Amino acid sequence: MISISLVILAPLLAAIVILCLRKRAYVLALSSAVISLLGSLGLLFGPGVELILPGLPNMPLRLVATPLTSVLSTMVAVVSTLVLVYATGYMSQDKEKNRFFATLLLFIAAMQMLVLAGDWILLLSAWELIGLSSYLLIGFWYQKPGVKAAAMRAFLVTRSADLGLYIAVFLLIASAGSSDIAATLNTDGTVAIVAGLFLLIAAMGKSAQTPLHDWLQRAMAGPTPVSALLHSATLVAAGAILLIRTAPMLPPETLVVIGIVGGITALITGLIALGESDLKRLLAASTSSQYGLMLLAVGAGVPLAALLHLIAHAAIKSSLFLGAGVFQHSRGSTALKDLAGVARDQPRIFIGFVIAALALAGIPPLSGFFSKDAIIAATMTSSHAWLFVPLVLIGTVLTGAYMARALRILWQGNAQKKTLAGLHWMSAGVAGLVILLIVLGALFPTIEAFVAAPLPGNMLAVGLGLSAALSGLLLGWFVPVRSLMGPLLEKANQGFSIAGGFDNLCVRPVFAIAHACEKLERRLYTAVLAVGKTGVKIAHAIRSSDEQGIDRFIFSIVHRTIRLGRQARALQSGLIHRELAITVIVTAGLFVITAIGLLIY
Amino acid sequence: MANDLALMLPEIIVLLTAIAALVAEMLRQPRVAFFVSITGLAVATMLTLPLLGEQATAFSDTFRIDTLSIWAKLILLPATILSLLLVRAELGGSAREGTAYVLIIMITLASLIMAGAGDTMLLVLGILLAGLGSFALVAYPRTDAATEAAMKYFVFASVTAGVMIFGLTYWFGGTGSTLLSELVILEKSPALAAIGFIAVVIGLGYKAALVPFHFWAPDAYEGAPVSIAAYLSVIPKVGAIFALAQVVRDLPVESAWQWIIAAVAVLSMTYGYLAALGQQNVVRLLAYSSVAQAGYFLLGVIAVGSSPLAFESLIVFSAAYAAMNLGAFAIVMQVGRTLEAFKNTGRQFPMIGVAMVVFLISLAGIPPLAGFVGKFLLFGAAMEAGFTWLVVIAIINSVLSLAVYLRIVVPMYQPSENEVITTDTVTIPLVRQVWFAGLLLTVLIGLAAQFLLGSIS
Repeated sequence: MISISLVILAPLLAAIVILCLRKRAYVLALSSAVISLLGSLGLLFGPGVELILPGLPNMPLRLVATPLTSVLSTMVAVVSTLVLVYATGYMSQDKEKNRFFATLLLFIAAMQMLVLAGDWILLLSAWELIGLSSYLLIGFWYQKPGVKAAAMRAFLVTRSADLGLYIAVFLLIASAGSSDIAATLNTDGTVAIVAGLFLLIAAMGKSAQTPLHDWLQRAMAGPTPVSALLHSATLVAAGAILLIRTAPMLPPETLVVIGIVGGITALITGLIALGESDLKRLLAASTSSQYGLMLLAVGAGVPLAALLHLIAHAAIKSSLFLGAGVFQHSRGSTALKDLAGVARDQPRIFIGFVIAALALAGIPPLSGFFSKDAIIAATMTSSHAWLFVPLVLIGTVLTGAYMARALRILWQGNAQKKTLAGLHWMSAGVAGLVILLIVLGALFPTIEAFVAAPLPGNMLAVGLGLSAALSGLLLGWFVPVRSLMGPLLEKANQGFSIAGGFDNLCVRPVFAIAHACEKLERRLYTAVLAVGKTGVKIAHAIRSSDEQGIDRFIFSIVHRTIRLGRQARALQSGLIHRELAITVIVTAGLFVITAIGLLIY
Repeated sequence: MANDLALMLPEIIVLLTAIAALVAEMLRQPRVAFFVSITGLAVATMLTLPLLGEQATAFSDTFRIDTLSIWAKLILLPATILSLLLVRAELGGSAREGTAYVLIIMITLASLIMAGAGDTMLLVLGILLAGLGSFALVAYPRTDAATEAAMKYFVFASVTAGVMIFGLTYWFGGTGSTLLSELVILEKSPALAAIGFIAVVIGLGYKAALVPFHFWAPDAYEGAPVSIAAYLSVIPKVGAIFALAQVVRDLPVESAWQWIIAAVAVLSMTYGYLAALGQQNVVRLLAYSSVAQAGYFLLGVIAVGSSPLAFESLIVFSAAYAAMNLGAFAIVMQVGRTLEAFKNTGRQFPMIGVAMVVFLISLAGIPPLAGFVGKFLLFGAAMEAGFTWLVVIAIINSVLSLAVYLRIVVPMYQPSENEVITTDTVTIPLVRQVWFAGLLLTVLIGLAAQFLLGSIS
């Protein structure tokens, strides 16, 4: 119970304290992250915990530490701690460190809450908090051109997909009669199919799946630690985590759709990554594609494979992003043509970057090899293997190709020596993550046993995966992109906006609604204004009745007196006559009221 | 007799203070007069404290020492002290400074007499005594405007007092006594009771500036020095309202007095705020606002006898009203009389801005300030008495009142076109103390209302 609250409350409190104190932000942030990490380790090694908090009537809020959730929580804590170490160096020159660390910690707290949530209400709240804080983080450098638009886009896309989550949660609670996630997992029949599809929509938004994939690339406008944290281990992971956690409930009909969505995404965003000319955007596209592979694994009915790849990918992609951040600091740009040869400036970081890239491609003995192998084996056991296996293999080839291309560009070129502020902190962060991604593979059997789920093993899968990865790497290193992709290149650079992508699916309807609202509001405004004007007119009338004569027609004599009075001295204005007259008339009115009152009694 | 004197000790001290201040003034020692006045009033307040919880009458039932009159002393005496500080700041150094103190203390004494009146003759005495002092104070600056205002005030006073005394003869004829406690006899002749009551409403309504007896108020406040206006808008008004509560306590319900009060309350609230909406002069605006606030007081009066909340609500709202109204006037003294003068003051002097905003939104009745607590209790009392419709009208008027008070707040935070500092930047220490005290009380009464209620009942 103590550990579970430490996990969530430590970053949250630190965020508040940072906002109040406005100094020593990184000390507070780091120590809270370490406390949170200790908490999740406590959950991992401790007994299962279920914490029931007062919530809505008959729907208490629950936090649960099952093997699955505590593994996820540990992953989030480890990655976020290392990212914070890196951010200490990366943000050392920024004036708004406090705001940055506070928002980042809020995000971490929300993510932990999402992972550990045991009921839908808490999960929804966490989901929303994540959306908000990621919006704030992507828009952190809001003064820069285009950043605000990028943040807004990310927010709106995920927001519109969130509707799916709301509908799914509503359906699940209505049919199960409880907001407990574990209880709703027994749902079956049509409800399970429909709810599963809506969950998929929510996951597609958060995990940037086709056709809602293009926000993630634009979200690279945020600081690099944000990209590393949000777009590897956490924000994007929320979608996949949602599906992994609800996997026991999902019926075969829904699983097929999930697999197809994942496969298509892996394909399309892989191609985009291959044609990309900006390192961070390349990594972002690759993130979408890797999450596509995870959805493929869920669709094949083996969520454990997706979980392993999620964990491996978190470590790999964080280290790639952090490396990219160092390169960005070194050259002041993330465009690949500006980064040519940057490997020679920062050889140590580059070594880490290469290891991570190889791991992502799936080269043994790195962690990515094991997780990708698990996915391929999983698709082979699926009843739709004829469709899923080719998709996952193409995805693997593409992964190797775009990573190799990026490595080649970074390597070939001339060095430009430059000293960097905060490099120690950044190197420490990268080093920690690289070590993690190397040793993680060895931990997979343990996790497998811990979560207690069978994982299919297959020598054919190993061979296929390895050859796909190697051929991808070789293609990417030796063949120029233009000849590799041919006419597809132009399409990829435009982002493959399927069905008009986000713009057609969300922007136009939203603008139409906004337009209608504006019209309505303008009408309301006019109406309110009219009421207000009438009120003011009445007030003016009353005021003039006090100061200019209660009624010109009846008191024309009084009116003449006023005119006479104005010519005379102010003292003899004669106003008192009139006012006393009013007094008398109203008093007479009081007598009338009294008479009525007496009659009533 | 000795016991009667002991019960009236605070009033006697107030009277002696007035005399001592007058003597000091005659010796041309205005400073001494000022300090004697402050000390005397403070002593009188202290001497009231042991009386808390007392329920008695003095001088054969003609004067009542009860919850209402004791709390009247506890509220009005400190309020008078604050007013004296304002008066000293504004009129200090003028030729007849000391007379102002003497007159003010006499009016306070008259207000206390009204608040504790158990006899119609004491009512008349209180009204006349308060009136005489007020005319002189309004005319104090000897300008044309002041003299005209005082004259108008005087004419109104004579007419209303005349009508009141005429109406009271009906009561005397019906009961054979001038005591208010004898009014129960009139149960069998409600018409007689009603005629007399209307006369009393005219007399006290003029003193409390209720519509339609309010016409003197805006002119008098505008013509008089601001500090005098501040004083007149609080002390005699509260005295007259409490007197009205003393009268209706003994009045048989059959005389339809509640209907008369309700009618006057509706007129005062609505008319006061509507007229205030068009004002350009802040003093006039506050004058009309005080007319409307008097209407709110009547919600407590109407509940006398039918709701246990009636006295409590009247007392809490009086304390709140005294704090916030004196505070608002103190700030007007410092900033200026026109809305123009308030432009940009909120930015130039943040503390003044904050204080004025607090006073105004408290007057409008926004939680958690004193004005809200007072109005909330008044509404509760009126609802218990079965006048829900009246409460609805009062709430609608509260909405209107916000528009009135925001008329002052808005220019305070508007950037002025010309960066010239229009206001007198010299802050007068005495005035600052007054609005600071007002600010403190407005917030404290709002927060500690529970405590206050506990000590009343």
